[in-house]
Amino acid sequence: MANVRYHVSLRSLTHVFQDSRRALKALADVALDVAWGQFLTVIGPSGCGKSTLLRIIGGLLRPSEGEVLIEGAAPVESQRRRDIGLVFQDPALLPWRTVLSNVRLPLEIDHSARDRPAPSPEELLELTGLADFHTYYPHELSGGMQQRVAIARALAFDPSLLLMDEPFGALDEITRSSMRYELLRIWSAGGGAPSGAEGRPTWRPHKTVVFVTHSIPEAIALSDRVVVLSPRPGTVRAAIDIELPRPRTQEMERTAPFLDYADQLRNLLKEAPA
Amino acid sequence: MNLILRSLAAHILPPALTLIAALLFWEFWVQWRDIAIIVVPPPSEVLERFLDDPAFFWREGGWTLYEATLGLLLGSSFALALAIAMAHSRLTERALFPLAIIIKVTPIVAVAPVLVIIFGFGTTPKILVAALLSFFPMLVNAMTGFRDVNPGALEFMRSLRASPWQLFWKLRLPSALPYLFAALKVTYPLALIGAVVAEWFTGDRGLGLVIFVANANLDTPTLFAAVGVLALTGVTLNVLLYLTERRLLFWHETIRTIR
Repeated sequence: MANVRYHVSLRSLTHVFQDSRRALKALADVALDVAWGQFLTVIGPSGCGKSTLLRIIGGLLRPSEGEVLIEGAAPVESQRRRDIGLVFQDPALLPWRTVLSNVRLPLEIDHSARDRPAPSPEELLELTGLADFHTYYPHELSGGMQQRVAIARALAFDPSLLLMDEPFGALDEITRSSMRYELLRIWSAGGGAPSGAEGRPTWRPHKTVVFVTHSIPEAIALSDRVVVLSPRPGTVRAAIDIELPRPRTQEMERTAPFLDYADQLRNLLKEAPA
Repeated sequence: MNLILRSLAAHILPPALTLIAALLFWEFWVQWRDIAIIVVPPPSEVLERFLDDPAFFWREGGWTLYEATLGLLLGSSFALALAIAMAHSRLTERALFPLAIIIKVTPIVAVAPVLVIIFGFGTTPKILVAALLSFFPMLVNAMTGFRDVNPGALEFMRSLRASPWQLFWKLRLPSALPYLFAALKVTYPLALIGAVVAEWFTGDRGLGLVIFVANANLDTPTLFAAVGVLALTGVTLNVLLYLTERRLLFWHETIRTIR
């Protein structure tokens, strides 16, 4: 697999939503490469096709034109291997299932996955800080907690690619900024198993992440690379490498380099002819 | 315990008092205006008739309930099967839904005698009439229910390549449960009506027969007692459905907000 240079490659991707009355061009000629283990954020104004882009990478939507390659193959191949994890803005948990049972859902759908090395639902809840909430139902949890469950659920098969569509978009500002660093902690965890998981191979750290947001600080704090999309139809306006050291901390958000990146991104987003 | 008693009192006392007040008014009105018993019997006479031979009313009511339940099961099964097919394909919906509407707009009460002619006496025609009456509301509700699925959950399941079977059992059916319960609350009483109407025409057993015969004999106390038993059955079924719903749908907004 390592012989493929990029984990995800998009080549002249164009997508048009067509219905009987009109055609809506969501994406125009998008080209993008995501390196292995990279945390890449796509940022852009609402309605620039960010979500469409993510759904195309996830194999949920077939692009009108262009090519998507994940590990050099079509997204369906990755989907078949259950090698893609998805998190949306709406946690979309099943309300009649407990937290644990929600995280177990993927394993119920693909029984064969149990034989593969992957973290157990219990380990995932430990990792996402939900160890004490196994028996809770989604409606008993706050929005931030629900999103943690959704993240744990997305990691059930230990996918190498994680796609996140404004996962913190519906949270209040305080929860939102702390969830950023929670996500980074979860992202870089791995390798060693939490105590007690004997002999079980654990999850791979630093998965490749494609993250969609319209929050500038969120994009900078999380990413190795930020891709700016123009408004509809979405095209890649610029890509900026964020060369801040890791691990990132909340304090960094007040440092000069961070604020410089924020200015840079704000200007790029402003150029948009409204 | 005290709490349970208090909530019981809060829920049962108001309607019970209203009912008692209405019956008292009825009793005094009939006595005061000296209305003939063959026109309207006073509640006391009706109660007396019932207490004369409660076993008779329970037995006949049991038959009616039995027929209504089988009819409900039959009608609901068909409705569910059809709703599943229609929820999965617009083409099936276009092909079958107009036919379902024909069933809905046909006055089943008028068809009942024909069904009796075709299927003779016994349980079959009653089950069929009950099934026909309960079919449509269940179909419409189930169809909406199977489609009213959280789009995010659906996409997530699709991204896991869940089979249609898994999608149905793990997502569509639980999502539809609130709708199915709403339908049952309508269709169970309808099935009871269907069974009673069919009994009028077959005349072998059941509360429908009791009502029919009592009506012919101007035996209004028996008629009202039978109607009362029927109403009580309906209320009991609704309470049972409500309690089951509360247990099963604890996660749903409609149940969570009544706490």
